[in-house]
Amino acid sequence: MTVIGVGRLIVQRQDYENSIERSYQREIQARVQLAEGTNPAAAQATVRREEANRERLRDSISGDTRDTVILVGAGLIAGLLGALLLFVGQITAMRRPLEALVAAAGRLAGGDRSARVRVGGVSEVATLGKAFNEMAAELELEASERDRLDRMKDEFVLTASHELRSPLTSVQGFAELLMMERDSLTPRQVETVEIILDNCRHLVRLLNDLLDLARSDAGRLQVRPQPTQLAPLVDDVVRMMRAQTEASDQTLIERIDPNLPVVNVEGDRIRQILVNLVTNAHEYSPERASIQVSARVADNAVEISVTDNGPGIPPAQLEHIFERFVRGDAGLTQRVGGTGLGLAISKSLVELHGGTITADSEVGRGSTFTVTLPTAGPAAIDPAPVGTSMIGESGRR
Amino acid sequence: MTTILVADDSETILLLMRTRLELAGYEVDTAADGQEVIDRVDPSSTDGPDLLLLDAMMPRKSGIDALRELRAAGVETPALIISAHQTPDDADAPADLEISAYLTKPIDFDALLDAVAELTAPKAA
Repeated sequence: MTVIGVGRLIVQRQDYENSIERSYQREIQARVQLAEGTNPAAAQATVRREEANRERLRDSISGDTRDTVILVGAGLIAGLLGALLLFVGQITAMRRPLEALVAAAGRLAGGDRSARVRVGGVSEVATLGKAFNEMAAELELEASERDRLDRMKDEFVLTASHELRSPLTSVQGFAELLMMERDSLTPRQVETVEIILDNCRHLVRLLNDLLDLARSDAGRLQVRPQPTQLAPLVDDVVRMMRAQTEASDQTLIERIDPNLPVVNVEGDRIRQILVNLVTNAHEYSPERASIQVSARVADNAVEISVTDNGPGIPPAQLEHIFERFVRGDAGLTQRVGGTGLGLAISKSLVELHGGTITADSEVGRGSTFTVTLPTAGPAAIDPAPVGTSMIGESGRR
Repeated sequence: MTTILVADDSETILLLMRTRLELAGYEVDTAADGQEVIDRVDPSSTDGPDLLLLDAMMPRKSGIDALRELRAAGVETPALIISAHQTPDDADAPADLEISAYLTKPIDFDALLDAVAELTAPKAA
């Protein structure tokens, strides 16, 4: 409207100036005729007509200019209003997709890999949405690839552990058969078979540990908590371990608080953890060392600790002691039969019970491992099928 | 004499089981997979094995599947499942198959012989 107005203003002005000029030309011609006296009356009339004509043109142009200025003004205001409306429209058109984008980004950051936005709206926002979707798709692809590899790894460990058990059953079974006839074997042969059996047990322990870890990684390691008296359980572990510690002239001391409350735990798993801790204390400590197993009541928890006065663990190693395949001083590990997985599994198991496990150590003074189990444990999950007994499990210890 | 039908896809393990069970005084019949187990147990006869000792996982037909079919046909012979997995839930064993006991590989033969003795005792008595 404004442009039209301004254009019209220019055209009107030009028309006006042309008309004025032509009017002057006609008047000049008339005045020449008047001076020459060729047709004085007509020339006189022309001069007066042109003067009147210009007067009319001047009036007309000022009126037209005013109208046009009003028109231009109105056009400007309308233009401003239009721009404002357009602007508000644009803002609204951008705000919705941007809000959707922010929400989707939040979902993506929160782990929802399927988060996408509907592409649309202002072209820049649409481009942004498209870029976001491409990024999210790539992230999803990477994550699903990672999941797939994880599943493959878990599957592999499960299958390997499963497949290795059959030949191991044969090796162990036939070695046991040989041992049933030990009276007809030479001492050297008996020793040989014992070594085979020892290594079978070690392999079983390794397989079970690997399986536990694979399950733990896959989130499938489960505990079946039951109300459990800890005192007899700890006592049982200590009695079981005594043969080994006595063989090394180590002292095994037991300090159990008689007022231990009942805790909701899976007894076999707690036993597994304690056997692991006492075995470590035994294997990493020299002959005649002292090992103490104590159980006491703490704040809404039971604390079981295993302390030895062995060589201790240097701080750099202590930091990583619960990581898999991390083992104590290499100089000692030759006579240590562990798998390097025991503490990693113990940690997973303790945490599945809602508890914590910590290690304190001072080089030259010894180490203490403490398991803290909440007295209000997690509710029982997935209890063992009723009417089915579990026997065997020879490799657990 | 108490007869035990043992099924495992490994000949070596069958030999091992046969040897241990025969040493303990049982009569042993063997099967290489679940289908052979089904073929050897006649639901209409009372002359079948006194105990089934089945590997949970076997090619062609698993011990679990064979037991499911036998139970559906009305066979009530006690069954002992041996699994290479660590725990029963891994072997996907349904609770309704009246599995008398589970054993894991490697087999603890002391535990196995105890379970066998217990499961075959009522018939012997």
